[in-house]
Amino acid sequence: MNEHSNSDKPLIDQHVLDLLNGSIDGELNASEQAEFDQLMASSEHVRDLNEELTAISSLLDRVPEREPPDYLQSAIEKQVRLPVVNNGPDGKQGFFGSWLNANWLRTGFALAAGVVLTVGVYEMGSEPITEQDSANLVGTVVRNPVSKQGELLGTILVETDLLNGVVELRNTDDLFILDLQLNSAGFSEVAVNFAGRGLVFEDITPEQGHEDTITVADGFVTVASNGKQHYTMRLRRTSELMQVRPLELEFFANNKLVHEAKLSVSKK
Amino acid sequence: MHKDRDAALVNDCKRGDRKAMSQLVSQYQRPVYNAAYRILGNTDDAADTTQTVFLKVFEHIADYDPKFKFFSWVYRIAINESLNQVKKRQKQEPLDDSQVSPWQGPAEDLDSKRLCDRVQGALMLLSADYRTVVVLKHISGCSYQQISEILQLPVKTVKSRLYSARQLMKKTLQNDASHSQGCGQS
Repeated sequence: MNEHSNSDKPLIDQHVLDLLNGSIDGELNASEQAEFDQLMASSEHVRDLNEELTAISSLLDRVPEREPPDYLQSAIEKQVRLPVVNNGPDGKQGFFGSWLNANWLRTGFALAAGVVLTVGVYEMGSEPITEQDSANLVGTVVRNPVSKQGELLGTILVETDLLNGVVELRNTDDLFILDLQLNSAGFSEVAVNFAGRGLVFEDITPEQGHEDTITVADGFVTVASNGKQHYTMRLRRTSELMQVRPLELEFFANNKLVHEAKLSVSKK
Repeated sequence: MHKDRDAALVNDCKRGDRKAMSQLVSQYQRPVYNAAYRILGNTDDAADTTQTVFLKVFEHIADYDPKFKFFSWVYRIAINESLNQVKKRQKQEPLDDSQVSPWQGPAEDLDSKRLCDRVQGALMLLSADYRTVVVLKHISGCSYQQISEILQLPVKTVKSRLYSARQLMKKTLQNDASHSQGCGQS
C-alpha cells in the first residue's frame, strides 16, 4: 500500500493496517489479536506505528463532549410537527394539510389552547394583536388599517374558483410583513408555516372590518374567515436562529386545499 | 442506543405522541450536536444543524424503516446535514483562535481547552470524508460496522479512511509548535 508507506520505513500491507486499526479500536477477535501480538514481537516498524496511532487515538478519545445550548431541546420541540392520523377521505394534503383538514382537531386545538393556556379570546379595537413568541394563541381580529411598508420580497397570485387574490411579502429591518388581499365566496383559511426560520409571530392587523379567527401555534399561523381575507401579518426575525427556508403558505376554501406556495425570506 | 426502546418511541411518534418525540430529542440531541460541532467547528452552526436534523427526522418519521437502527438513521441525517453545511461554506479553513468557541469549564481544565482547540484545529484540516469517520469513531463512539451503516461505506473503506485520517492528524499535531506543552503526552 504505497499510500501508507514512508520512504525511510518498510512498506506495510493492508492486512497489517487492519490489524493495527483493530487493535487500537478494540475490534480484534482472539485469533487476530494473537496474530497481531506476533507481529508486534517481530517488527519494530509495527511497534512504532502502533505507538503513534495509539497516541493519536488516545488523544481523540480524551476530547470532552460539549454541552448543547440550553435552548436547543425546547427550540427543536417547538418546531417539530408530528404526523396526525387522518381517517378522512383521501385528498391533497400539502405541507401540513392533514393537520388543518381535521376540523375536530382544529377545534379541539383551539379549545385546548384557549382553556389550558388561558390565553383567551382577544377582541381587538384599533390595537393590533401582539404576541412576542410563537406560543399558542387563539383570537379574533378586526379592523386596524396599516399602510404597506418595506421592500417587496415576493408575491403570490391565488386564482382558483373558490378563492382568489394576492399575497405580498415585504421586509423592513427585522420584520417580515405579509399583506394578504384574498376574496372568497365562503369559508376560507390561510396557513403560514414559519417554523424553524428564526422567526416569531409579531402581530396581525386586518384592513377590513371582518371578524377573522387566528390561531398561532408552534411556528404556524392560520387565519380563518368568511368572505374577504384582507390583513397584514408581521413576523419578526430573531437572532437566535438563522434558517432561511422560505415561508410555506397554504390556502383552503371550504376545507379543501386549493393552493399552496412558498415565499423566500431572502432578499433578491 | 437502546434499539427496542427507540423502536417503541418511534412508533409512538408515528401516532403523534409528542412525549415520545421529546424523549428521542432528549436522547439524541447531545450526540448529534457534538458530531455536528466536531465536523463544523462552530457551536452556532452545530446548534442550527442539530435543529434541522431533528426537523428532518420527524418530518420523515413515517418513512423510517424499523429494520435499520434508529440511531444509525439519525446519525446519517446528521452527518449528511453537517456535510451539506461544509459544502455551503465552499472554502473550509482551519480554526484560528478567534473561531474556537469559548471554554466554559473551570480554570484548572485549561489543559483540556488547549487539547480541544488543537485537536479541533487538526480535525478541521482533514477533508470532510476523513473528518467524518474520525468524529464517528472517537466522538460518537461508533464501531466500524456502525460507521459503515451510517456512511453506507464498506467496513474496509472505513478502516482505510480512519488510518489515513489518524496519520494526517499525527503530522498536523506534530507540526504544531505548541503541541508539546499541552497534549503531546497521551
